Amino acid sequence: MKRWLVAAGLSAIPFLSANAQPAGDAVRPLVILTQPQAASPQDYQAAEMTAEAWKALGLKVTVRPLPGQQFNQIVWYERQRWDTTTWQMVGRPERSDPDELTYNLFVSANIANGYNLVGLNSPDYDKLAQAQREELDLPKRQALIRQAQELINQQQPYGFMVHPKNLVAFNQTVWDESSMQVQAGIGIRNFWTWTNLKPKGTQKDVIVNSVAPPTNLSPFNIPGAQGSWATELVWDRLMRIGPDGLPRPWAAESVTRPTATTVDVVLRSGMKWHDGLPVTIEDAVFSLEAPGFGDKAPMYRPFVGNIAKVDITGPMSLRITLKRPDAAFLVSSLSKLNLAPKHIWAPIFEDLKNKPETAESIMEKVPVGSGPFKFVSVKLTEQIVLEANKDHWAKPNVDRWIMRIAPNVEATLGALKSGEINFLTDYTGDPDLLTQLAKSTPTIKVADSLDIGFRFIAYNERRPPFNDVAFRRALSAVMDREALAADAYGGAAVPANSWISPALAFWADPGIDKRVPGGSLAAAKKILTDAGYVFVGNELHYPVGVKETTPVYN
Amino acid sequence: MLRLAAGRLGHLVLVLWVVTTLTFVLFRLMPGDPTLNFLSPSFSQETRAALLKGFGLDRSLWEQYLIYMGNLLRGELGQSFLQGKSVAALLGEALPNTVILTLVSLTAAYAFGIVAGAFLAFRRGGVVEALAIPTTLATRAAPEFWLGMLLLAGLAFQAGWFPTGGALSPGKEMGSFSESLISADYWWHLALPALTLMLFLQGLPLLLMRATMLEVLNDEFIVMARMKGLSRWSIVMRHAARNALLPVVTAFALGLGASIGGNVVVETVFAWPGIGRLLVQAVQSADYPLAQGAFLLIAAVLVVMNTVADLAYAALDPRVSVGAKR
Amino acid sequence: MLPWTRGCRSVRSVRLDPYATVGFTIYTAIAAMAVFARQLAPYDPKAILKVGNRIARYLPLSPEHWLGTNSSGRDVLSQLIWGARSALEVGLTAAFAVVAIGTLLGLVAGYLGGWADRVITWFADIVLGLPFLPFMLILAALTRPGAGVVIFTVAALLWPNTARVIRAQVLSLRERAWVEAARVTGCSTARIMFVHLLPQVLPLAALYGSVAIGWAILAEASASFLGFGDPEIISWGGMLQESYANQALSRGAWNWFAPPGAAIMAMVLAGFLISRGSEKLLFPKLADQ
Repeated sequence: MKRWLVAAGLSAIPFLSANAQPAGDAVRPLVILTQPQAASPQDYQAAEMTAEAWKALGLKVTVRPLPGQQFNQIVWYERQRWDTTTWQMVGRPERSDPDELTYNLFVSANIANGYNLVGLNSPDYDKLAQAQREELDLPKRQALIRQAQELINQQQPYGFMVHPKNLVAFNQTVWDESSMQVQAGIGIRNFWTWTNLKPKGTQKDVIVNSVAPPTNLSPFNIPGAQGSWATELVWDRLMRIGPDGLPRPWAAESVTRPTATTVDVVLRSGMKWHDGLPVTIEDAVFSLEAPGFGDKAPMYRPFVGNIAKVDITGPMSLRITLKRPDAAFLVSSLSKLNLAPKHIWAPIFEDLKNKPETAESIMEKVPVGSGPFKFVSVKLTEQIVLEANKDHWAKPNVDRWIMRIAPNVEATLGALKSGEINFLTDYTGDPDLLTQLAKSTPTIKVADSLDIGFRFIAYNERRPPFNDVAFRRALSAVMDREALAADAYGGAAVPANSWISPALAFWADPGIDKRVPGGSLAAAKKILTDAGYVFVGNELHYPVGVKETTPVYN
Repeated sequence: MLRLAAGRLGHLVLVLWVVTTLTFVLFRLMPGDPTLNFLSPSFSQETRAALLKGFGLDRSLWEQYLIYMGNLLRGELGQSFLQGKSVAALLGEALPNTVILTLVSLTAAYAFGIVAGAFLAFRRGGVVEALAIPTTLATRAAPEFWLGMLLLAGLAFQAGWFPTGGALSPGKEMGSFSESLISADYWWHLALPALTLMLFLQGLPLLLMRATMLEVLNDEFIVMARMKGLSRWSIVMRHAARNALLPVVTAFALGLGASIGGNVVVETVFAWPGIGRLLVQAVQSADYPLAQGAFLLIAAVLVVMNTVADLAYAALDPRVSVGAKR
Repeated sequence: MLPWTRGCRSVRSVRLDPYATVGFTIYTAIAAMAVFARQLAPYDPKAILKVGNRIARYLPLSPEHWLGTNSSGRDVLSQLIWGARSALEVGLTAAFAVVAIGTLLGLVAGYLGGWADRVITWFADIVLGLPFLPFMLILAALTRPGAGVVIFTVAALLWPNTARVIRAQVLSLRERAWVEAARVTGCSTARIMFVHLLPQVLPLAALYGSVAIGWAILAEASASFLGFGDPEIISWGGMLQESYANQALSRGAWNWFAPPGAAIMAMVLAGFLISRGSEKLLFPKLADQ
């Protein structure tokens, strides 16, 4: 009898132990959204590698590519819908000051409609972000930025991946390399190079490439990364970010800050618009005020949001009064806002008042700016042709600046080799191929520089389990950033764990990429089990009693 | 003949109407917010609503349909979201490039195919035929973009004989299309895409020519003519070729219509700025007025060429009459 | 039973033709690849292979990898073998659909005549006015890109040619004595169409079917190449797109790029060869070719 009971008991053990550990529901299959492979092979491969890494945590993960427009639509406008996505913040000169990203990416005000895609809601962070914005003392501000980075490191709202290196190549028989300028975090592909470039021989046209067609070229539109290269040349700004990464007066003769909330600008005299009319102080005032006219220039509106008023204080001078102190104003606003001719744009804005369109969609037949290059012709899907403005005080040494648009990466490499383009400015392909090409072709030289921007995987905190910081930490911990940099990004990247790139040496926190909480698979699993998650066989389950209520992404 | 033509024209109009209506229905089912590409992420709800209204997307489907048909009849195809220009203007720029590519490739393909097909019709049996037929079939069986890329890699990248894409070299702009036509640069850029298409297209006329010539060569009245003592060559020229050309001409007309829409992949591989590439870009970026306009244009050309083919067939072979009575 | 015997004789004759033989051999090989993919493929086609810590990218040909690996570390040969599955699935399904729809409509139009014929012919004209690739692109953008869209587009847009030819044959068969006899003995219309006429037109339909397999594969490859293919499944068109996107040509990675294109070509060619083989049967006047 006893033996029978023992036998029965023993045979029940496998039964019991299978259900011995109570656990919540299995975590649903997760989806990583990304661009199609043809559009961004690097992001796509990064997504695949990350999916593999997460599978080791007992998750079912698939990668779903979406064509460009659908991708933007879902990630930006349907924030309830997606689990995770690859995404990037592009390096721009105006982002040499960390304010724009530090503030916009993570403050709670931007959760619904702004750049806070993941929905991070941290009052502590909000405070920090506001404080750094108003702190004019540099060492104090640096400390605040460090604190902000550590807070984000603990919260892991993103699985940061890498800071990419910009790969640029040029034909060194055509261009004098010593005339190129390296800009911190941007490389040689910048405004200063274009305006200083000296041709060595008879070819006096700069021919660059872009893989994506820009959107409208207008002083009130931000036309994507490549289009910006053209707009930067055609429209001047009061200040520009110099090669050292700091703002310097440009269309202004001088810029001073008498108090924390006032900025005095003296306009350079003798400037002319491309249609011959002189650049006046009224034009400058108009350019600072127009983006604030209703909602007619929404991309630029945030950058004038802090301007209380602009007063003319002399024939060539004005005073800007800010609502609040703003440490980054010179960089994020004065170096960003374009000088637009009032005589052309005031009537346009007037006309737009009763129409639904904005100034972003307006493109003049022959756009007029006051910059060192002027428009000759543009076919947005094929090429943009600019010619040197001989009347400009910083007139270029080249004859024309031409941007050739071809989405085909292989054709672009061929074009560089054959001389059809003499500056490879937009290369999204395999870095190995470019290096090989440079090795086998003595006329071609490659220059790389660490970018200000970064790539990451966004965790949507609106959807469990991404709202659980332990889960996010575990996900970030198993990502092998070195491998991502070496394999997905072909060695043209460095590991990242912050939005601030090492290219911004003053603001970056060196070594932060080694401080991801956890940092290994074993540690990641421990983070999960400590937080109550249960591994049932190879599957990850929620803690006891938690049900999976979120539908799988479709 | 006139009655025939009128009948076909009436039919043409009807088909066009159905195709345009179908297109309307198709495009209204596009996913997502169609004005999205036009709007910046930092737009307010009000602005978006206002823009939606401006494009008439808030009205009932019926009203939209009537507006759409009315616009079409006036040649008004809307404004491209991405490029801010009128769709009609963009199509107008792209259409000549596609037409030239198609005409050149098709003509070359048919010229080659007709000659080779006739040649093969005489060379029956033997190694030549055994090799030629499968090779021809193979060219038709291979994906065109694959052929294109092989040519691109070999002749453009490796050998450097041809440019790697586009219609003109960087920095060269032509004032008008007719200027492009007479520039050597344009034709140099046209060479590879045209060669690719030609390779792909020559199979049909070759085999068709060969088959119909064989059939006709066996025909009784040819046999009669031979018995009369005429030389083989003159028989071919005078009698067989005329009859054999009929299906080839019809196929040419049909091929023209089909190619306009089918050039999509070749134009993409070579970045040739034609309607096919415009359509792909438009679909990829949800620029739906442009996508719709491109699709309509391609469909219209196809329908028109089908009708032309029908009429040509009837004109060349009076034995056939439309709507055979039973 | 007259109709069946004739059909059997056709099949036998076709098999003896050299073109058709080659065609069938190719199909058999591809079918074998598809059915025995799991046994034949040396690796999981989706597995990212590693060399130490790093991904096994662009490995050259070797005994471990007969066709090397691609840019994301996957074995090319395994992908090629598994690709046969989707090729056959898409090809056969689409071809079947085209043949089914075309034959059915051709039968109805040819036999019933009158308004049925007019409606069907008119419908065919509309369908012929829709450009193939553009329509498929737009449909793929509307719905989920994938095999379903390809099959649907092929079935919806390519049936008219089949229908037309079937209709013509039915028109001529209709007047034959044995059909008249069937009618007189009281066979229903449906019975005449499906039991008597259908087997007669099947060889012709099959001919168009074998060509339709080819068009379907080419359509899927084109759709994938333009980025509108199904990203979840392994397909030859998808392999071509991936290699293109990763600049395999500049790399000289012919091992990645050439085989899928050749496989597509072979499969489409097989369809042509078979239909040409059958042509001799159906157009006896050209029999002395």
